[in-house]
Amino acid sequence: MNRPFRTALSLAAVAGLLAACSSPAATTGPTGTATEAPMSEAPMSEGPAAPIAGGLLEKVLTAGKIVISTDPAYPPQSEQKPDGTYEGFDIDVATELAERLGVEIEWTTPPWEAITAGSWGGRWDISVGSMTITPERLEVVDFTVPYYFTPAQMAASTQSGITTLEGMAGKTVCAGEGTTYFHWLQGNLDFGPGGRPDPPPAGVIATTLPTDRDCAVTWQSGRHDFEGWLSAEPTVDAAIADGLPLVKVGDPVYSEPLAVAADKSGPDPSDLLARLSEAITAMHADGTLSQLSMKWFDEDITKDPSL
Amino acid sequence: MADVVARQPGKDPFATSPDTIVDEIARSRRRAGLRFALFFILTWIVLVGGLGLLIATSGRVHADFLAEYAPFFLGGIPLTIFVSVASIFFATIFALIGALGRISAIAPIYATATLYVSLVRGTPLIVQIFFIYAALPQFGVVLPALVAGIFALSFNYGAYMTEIFRAGIQAIPRGQLEAASALGMTDWQRMRRIILPQAIRIVIPAIGNDFIAMIKDSALVSFVALQELFWRARTVGSAQFRSFETLIFAAIVYWILTIVFSLFQERLEKRMAESDRRI
Repeated sequence: MNRPFRTALSLAAVAGLLAACSSPAATTGPTGTATEAPMSEAPMSEGPAAPIAGGLLEKVLTAGKIVISTDPAYPPQSEQKPDGTYEGFDIDVATELAERLGVEIEWTTPPWEAITAGSWGGRWDISVGSMTITPERLEVVDFTVPYYFTPAQMAASTQSGITTLEGMAGKTVCAGEGTTYFHWLQGNLDFGPGGRPDPPPAGVIATTLPTDRDCAVTWQSGRHDFEGWLSAEPTVDAAIADGLPLVKVGDPVYSEPLAVAADKSGPDPSDLLARLSEAITAMHADGTLSQLSMKWFDEDITKDPSL
Repeated sequence: MADVVARQPGKDPFATSPDTIVDEIARSRRRAGLRFALFFILTWIVLVGGLGLLIATSGRVHADFLAEYAPFFLGGIPLTIFVSVASIFFATIFALIGALGRISAIAPIYATATLYVSLVRGTPLIVQIFFIYAALPQFGVVLPALVAGIFALSFNYGAYMTEIFRAGIQAIPRGQLEAASALGMTDWQRMRRIILPQAIRIVIPAIGNDFIAMIKDSALVSFVALQELFWRARTVGSAQFRSFETLIFAAIVYWILTIVFSLFQERLEKRMAESDRRI
């Protein structure tokens, strides 16, 4: 507490944002450690990945806890119970991962754009938030192997009367801020190694609201500024189950690989991600993930559809 | 007095004494005042009651849902108040430094303070909050969420309060400054012993006002992962498709909070004005 406050005060004394460039940089350690500690020190064997000196795994194991970001506005992946605790598919997966890692979890709830933008500055260690692997995100964060694959589902407000995907041509479609759905609508979604999905309907106009569900809530509240809504199939299903005025339109437009992510600009995350990837592969093999998928989605969406 | 009596035709000028007339006027004024207060309260009952009835009968309010989540929402109040109190405290420090800069005769100091006020007052608070939380880390400056939120609010309010403080300082009559100098006080002694004690008394009611505004603006720190009142209402509302109830609930709580603190503020204002009152 003390140091940031002193930083804040020293900023005040100079009373200029320009000063922020130089002075507080001293208080932030993480940047640059990756260059100081080349990865060569840790020879990878068949066994569990060994911690790199100054790496993220070492930080987490030393602290005995891992700080995980989640966005509790996304049931059934993550939501908050009246007592303030969290539940959902992502929450269960994260809990299982932390257990296999042998550490406690501390949750934090930054806005989604702050997670996908990287530069976490050590405020949280990993995101277990159904993040899609994309080349743009790969520039700022690194991923584990996917832990499940969400079909992206187009929906239309019942009021619009649209029933086919082609019917969305030239219409306005809502998506959550910073989501892959928004990028797909704009025609620039790319899964990198996972290939490119089919293009969106011709002339479709994309609009955003802070989180996916806000789009459906907007219809419920009687506003019809857009005809379509693109989100994860489980999210759309949950909205329909909750009695919101919308219908599914066509088959899922693409299926996206979702993985655990860690910030590249902090301590080297490669060792932690390697360890988590091993755990995820094991959870795929021993049926843990399938079981959790059945629990939260009533279907198993943990198998790679491209296989 | 004879005039007043003479202007009441048809009445015996000697039947009512001047004292009775004065009493009569006072009574009728009191009656008018009571009538006004009565209609004020009645109008409020009609408006608030009507609005409440409208909301209650909209079919969108589920009492069991609100009862279930109310403790969770209300659990955000301590953080809301903590953020507001901490922010107003640091804003006061920013404002004091800013105000001293704004009255400084040294050009670079005056220029820096002026830039601070201009820059902060000329950009939206929400942009500043996002900048400190999401943009500064890309620059290597990482403030924890709570510090980022409090820093953004106090840095912003500090700029507005700088001008209040400057006005407070400049309100001290020149003669006092000259008298202090004549007594051989240094500039700093003059500031600390003569100007600031009086200036602070002038600006305290204004700080109270800003504190009430701060309670409302503290909702903006929900964007930096702080689970205060608004964050809780917004997230649960979004997840449960119950924005209508949760946002109305949050609005009512903010309203009650500001009313409570306004009452404190009124007392504080009265207390501060005590020495100005003529006896």
